[in-house]
Amino acid sequence: MRSALSKTRLELTVSQWKKKHYFWILAALGPVLALFFVIRIYPIVQTVVISFFRYHMTNPVRPFVGLDNYQRLLEDAAFQAAFINTIEFTAITVLITLSLSFFIALLLQSIERHSAFFEIIFYIPVVTPWVPASVIWKWIYDPSYGILNFFLGLFGVPKQAWLQEPGIVLLAIVGVSVWKMLGYFLVVFGVGLKGIPSSYLEAAEIDGARPAQRLAYIIVPLMKPIIVFCVVMSTIIFFNVFAPVYVLTSSAQGAPAYELKVMVSEIFMNAFTFYRMGYAGAMSVVLLGFVMLLVVLQFALFRDKEE
Amino acid sequence: MKSRIICVVAALALTGSLLFAGDNAGSADPKTQKGKLSIWLGYPETAKSYEEAKKLFANKYPGIQVEVLTFELREFEAKLAASLPAGVGPDILALHDFIFPRYYAAGNLADVPKDLAEMAVNPKKIDQVFAKMVMRGGKVYGLPYWTGRSTLFYNKDHLTEAGLSRPPKTVKEYWDYAEKLVKKDAAGNVLRSGVSIRLTGPSGVIQKFGYLYYQMTGEQIFEIGEEIGKVRVTIKDHLDAAGQLLLDHVNHLHGAKKVDDWKVQHDGQAFAGGVTSMFLRETWIIEFTKKNGPNINFGTALMPADKAWGAFNYFEILSVNKASKMGAAAWDFVRTMLEPSICNFVLSDSGYIPLRKDVDYSSVLAVKPHHKAVMEAPASYKLYIEAPNTAYEEMTTRAGEVIQEAFRDAGLVGNLEGCKKVMMKVQDTAAAILKDNGILTAGK
Repeated sequence: MRSALSKTRLELTVSQWKKKHYFWILAALGPVLALFFVIRIYPIVQTVVISFFRYHMTNPVRPFVGLDNYQRLLEDAAFQAAFINTIEFTAITVLITLSLSFFIALLLQSIERHSAFFEIIFYIPVVTPWVPASVIWKWIYDPSYGILNFFLGLFGVPKQAWLQEPGIVLLAIVGVSVWKMLGYFLVVFGVGLKGIPSSYLEAAEIDGARPAQRLAYIIVPLMKPIIVFCVVMSTIIFFNVFAPVYVLTSSAQGAPAYELKVMVSEIFMNAFTFYRMGYAGAMSVVLLGFVMLLVVLQFALFRDKEE
Repeated sequence: MKSRIICVVAALALTGSLLFAGDNAGSADPKTQKGKLSIWLGYPETAKSYEEAKKLFANKYPGIQVEVLTFELREFEAKLAASLPAGVGPDILALHDFIFPRYYAAGNLADVPKDLAEMAVNPKKIDQVFAKMVMRGGKVYGLPYWTGRSTLFYNKDHLTEAGLSRPPKTVKEYWDYAEKLVKKDAAGNVLRSGVSIRLTGPSGVIQKFGYLYYQMTGEQIFEIGEEIGKVRVTIKDHLDAAGQLLLDHVNHLHGAKKVDDWKVQHDGQAFAGGVTSMFLRETWIIEFTKKNGPNINFGTALMPADKAWGAFNYFEILSVNKASKMGAAAWDFVRTMLEPSICNFVLSDSGYIPLRKDVDYSSVLAVKPHHKAVMEAPASYKLYIEAPNTAYEEMTTRAGEVIQEAFRDAGLVGNLEGCKKVMMKVQDTAAAILKDNGILTAGK
């Protein structure tokens, strides 16, 4: 009887504690969740909602148009060009950034004593805001006075109109983006490489494995989770490219540039220059859906390989 | 009893009316009013004139603070678009004519006081070409304030060097001059452009292309339709001239007759830097060149003529936000901006031409010959402005992109039919956007 009573008391205390526990969880997470809902979930939901309306910022009449905005995307040459450019840009930039940062991270492993110094050097562009970084590069790419043409000229390379020629402007922006984000992925890969037990590599070396074999059969397989993270993150980052494109290719006094269309710049233009918020909403939904699809595919691809 | 009630009511009414009158008198007295007026500007180069007006305004309204905020033009437009329909935003609106119709159509503008409305419709005070654009159904919605006028800028030293004694007077001369003025290296690369053509920034491309289009056709690419607010695309009506104009451009961007290149510096900076000999731009370039190229010996001239002769004008309109809680004071600030001393300041400091006609500008023009050449045009020189258009940005951007791409197409050199096809694409692109916005008209 006594034990049953004490059991009931214990259950009551646990249930009270649980209630209090939930209260504290709610108190701690509530504001964060509320903020997350207001600044993340609500805008996304609202973007999806307005994509079904003809929503012009200055026009109070905003009729429901169903899938018209999405249908229009299929006929919009500017959107299609932006979509293709963005895919092309992302593919090239992800490939170069990750290959280069992985390679440099490997090199830095071999000079362990000074690697931190070089990591800091490579990391400086990461903490530099996009806009001033892009302005600096605009001057570097200047066809008449830019240091890049001057430097190439020393080797007899003729002047290039980096931001004016449609054929090379994309590569110019790839250059800036790789320079900007290289340090970030370098540090991530560096952390991953440091996590590989040196005994594995030493054992392989004793067994006669060449550096390329150690890379292919030990380092890369063990780094797979880090690589997946980097591929996913870089795809998201580069698919949303905007600031360097906007700053580098917007025509300005004295420096007409080739206006490269990318997804986010088209969204920006439709939303804040043409005030077609509904149409820009539809573009945003397509961008979101496509990036999510890519991320899912990347995860699936790597998981399949693991299996 | 009855008379007592009447007495009480009368006393209350008298007290109330005195109180009310007293309150009114208090709020109407500028010296005692307190608060803040805000102004947003998309043309920061005019900000100093607003600061100058603040000094005069402070004499009348010592308790009212005036805040002038400047923004990059597109940012300014976006901020207005987000705030005015929501019933917020600045008290005083300095709107350029491209965006003005959007706000009077949406009912965001306060009623213009009678004296200012009378000023706007008085042809002796304001040129009626501009006044017409701030009216709808006979009602005035704002005061035309200053204009930026298309002008031919030329480098006097370059012309002398090429043996040319005066600026080009016709469109044909304009291209001939460009061919004589261009400087190339042995490989044919342009080192100094004969004329700096607007090659990028699609809305700017079509606007500058339109300067010569008007001279060659007598109409703008986009004209007012059956009524203000509706737009007619005119390319189809002048297809030969439109095709020829595009051909003139591509012929001078590729091959032996090349006078300009994407690789060289462009626009105002190129002119101020002495790396172009001529270009068509608006009057603000006068002050820009003086500041950025103090050693450049340059002149201004009226636009080169062809079938027609005239100058494009974009202009700023002063108005008051309907949601402003200090409407009367805001309109008084507008009155201050229209004072002769401030109009003269606008002209001398920013280079924009004030639109008040009944003001004496002779003291400024005596020391500003560049402005004099532009402002003192003969009567046959027609001033024209863009058709008010709520889809302006989208239409000019998308239609301008077609011309921008065509400029790069060397295959169009010598190909008039190809150029006509491109111009029809410009027509169709613009017409589709106007139609989508419900403002396309076919006829005049």
